[in-house]
Amino acid sequence: MSRKRTENGSESGPATSHVPVDRFGFLKQEHANSPERFSKSKTTSSTDHDREERKVRKWRKMIGVGGSDWKHYVRRKPNVVRRRIRKGIPDCLRGLVWQLISGSRDLLLMNPGVYEQLVIYETSASELDIIRDISRTFPSHVFFQKRHGPGQRSLYNVLKAYSVYDRDVGYVQGMGFIAGLLLLYMSEEDAFWLLVALLKGAVHAPMEGLYHAGLPLVQQYLFQLESLVKELIPKLGEHFTQEMINPSMYASQWFITVFSYSFPFPLALRIWDVFLSEGVKIVFKVGLALLKYCQDELVKLPFEKLIHALKTFPEDAMNPDTLLPLAYSIKVLFRFRKVNVLVKFP
Amino acid sequence: MAGYRADEEYDYLFKLVLIGDSGVGKSNLLSRFTKNEFNLESKSTIGVEFATKTTKVEGKVVKAQIWDTAGQERYRAITSAYYRGAVGALLIYDVTRHATFENAARWLRELRGHTDPNIVVMLIGNKCDLRHLVAVKTEEAKAFAERESLYFMETSALDATNVENAFTEVLTQIHKIVSKRSVDGGGESADLPGKGETINVKEDGSVLKRMGCCSN
Repeated sequence: MSRKRTENGSESGPATSHVPVDRFGFLKQEHANSPERFSKSKTTSSTDHDREERKVRKWRKMIGVGGSDWKHYVRRKPNVVRRRIRKGIPDCLRGLVWQLISGSRDLLLMNPGVYEQLVIYETSASELDIIRDISRTFPSHVFFQKRHGPGQRSLYNVLKAYSVYDRDVGYVQGMGFIAGLLLLYMSEEDAFWLLVALLKGAVHAPMEGLYHAGLPLVQQYLFQLESLVKELIPKLGEHFTQEMINPSMYASQWFITVFSYSFPFPLALRIWDVFLSEGVKIVFKVGLALLKYCQDELVKLPFEKLIHALKTFPEDAMNPDTLLPLAYSIKVLFRFRKVNVLVKFP
Repeated sequence: MAGYRADEEYDYLFKLVLIGDSGVGKSNLLSRFTKNEFNLESKSTIGVEFATKTTKVEGKVVKAQIWDTAGQERYRAITSAYYRGAVGALLIYDVTRHATFENAARWLRELRGHTDPNIVVMLIGNKCDLRHLVAVKTEEAKAFAERESLYFMETSALDATNVENAFTEVLTQIHKIVSKRSVDGGGESADLPGKGETINVKEDGSVLKRMGCCSN
């Protein structure tokens, strides 16, 4: 018996090859996670094109051949670099720049042959868990759609390699979306080292606590987010308290996958540009900006509608050019350096 | 949906949780029940998801508030908080993967550690449309369910077999307990629960518990 969609009776079949995809490779019929609605409205005029070209030229100069001038430039003009990253890294240079700003390029150069060793010769207790999630990671993207295709194989290799590299973390659901996002911009080995740079904290605070037993860092971030909402958007904070909305109901995914799970792809990419350069604060800022932008609507909603709204923000709120400036304007101060989180697990 | 009634009108609000190993089909069971949808290309659930459905049970309008949880063990640090205040649970395994059935005992322990002993639990063998791949015999699961006093059903979220039945049965059993309690005069109050009141088997201080009132 073949598995098929029952609602409309259409055969789903194996990877459909002639379905139109957007410029990022997501199938166009998919609403969630599809950036189509943003790019479609923007007709790329010749001035846009010129602007983009000038931008790329500036960036190329900043980076130098293969990244040779990057460190020098960052040391000399950190504010220029930061400002340019906040405006968005040109898509054609994104993969390279991500590796430069995350410190992963250095890790790669310091550890020749290690990735290959991890992929080929080691085994991991998480292999079955990883396999089970492979087809459930960006299922609407052409690169990952084909069963056992190059996308799925790369995703498996990176996740398996990481689960061997760090057996305390192993594999945790959600890591696949991060690895998947990276694989759309770089090779397996580069993606692996970027994952290492993030989780081990090459440049910023290590992320591995998000995935350790008890998910301690998720719990800490959720707690901090709740306090920040109360402090910065008090009306909404009070409404959340009244309606018994807990941040774990809507924001776990924000932190665990750094917005790569269900946000429109162009927005996710812009967030990632800043995330890699400035660290986790941008996740809080974007989250708070979203809540702030939508607060007039949100405060009117009762519990159930509120939860729904917190998982499906309107299109205009998700426009990077509106949301990110708002996010940058939010000052996030962590007063809670050390948070006592009750961690329970069997 | 209940006829002409407005969305928010109901006699009872019951909180249910869906638990079980990763990939057994929890999210698709939920979407089949609440939206009559099945998604072959669904993503793994990260954290918790939520949906509701209002339905008629023994002449009463019951709203089911259902929490769907991530299946991977490490996520229990977050998801177990959602067990509190639940009056019903669907413990789901995949009939084609015996290991997911073996883990049911652990899920049950975990659930019972966080909930009232009166919670209505149904064991569900999902993906029963994959007949040629069945690895868990119906008798085996039935025996386990009897031993643990669980209700039991085999379902397919894909072809919709028994999905409605399973949820309705759980809601009916909860309703039976609730109405029997009020008839017996057990508990603090002998009155029938008020309109739209949440029935929590046990009142506790859970922040996640939602006391329902007819919102408008």
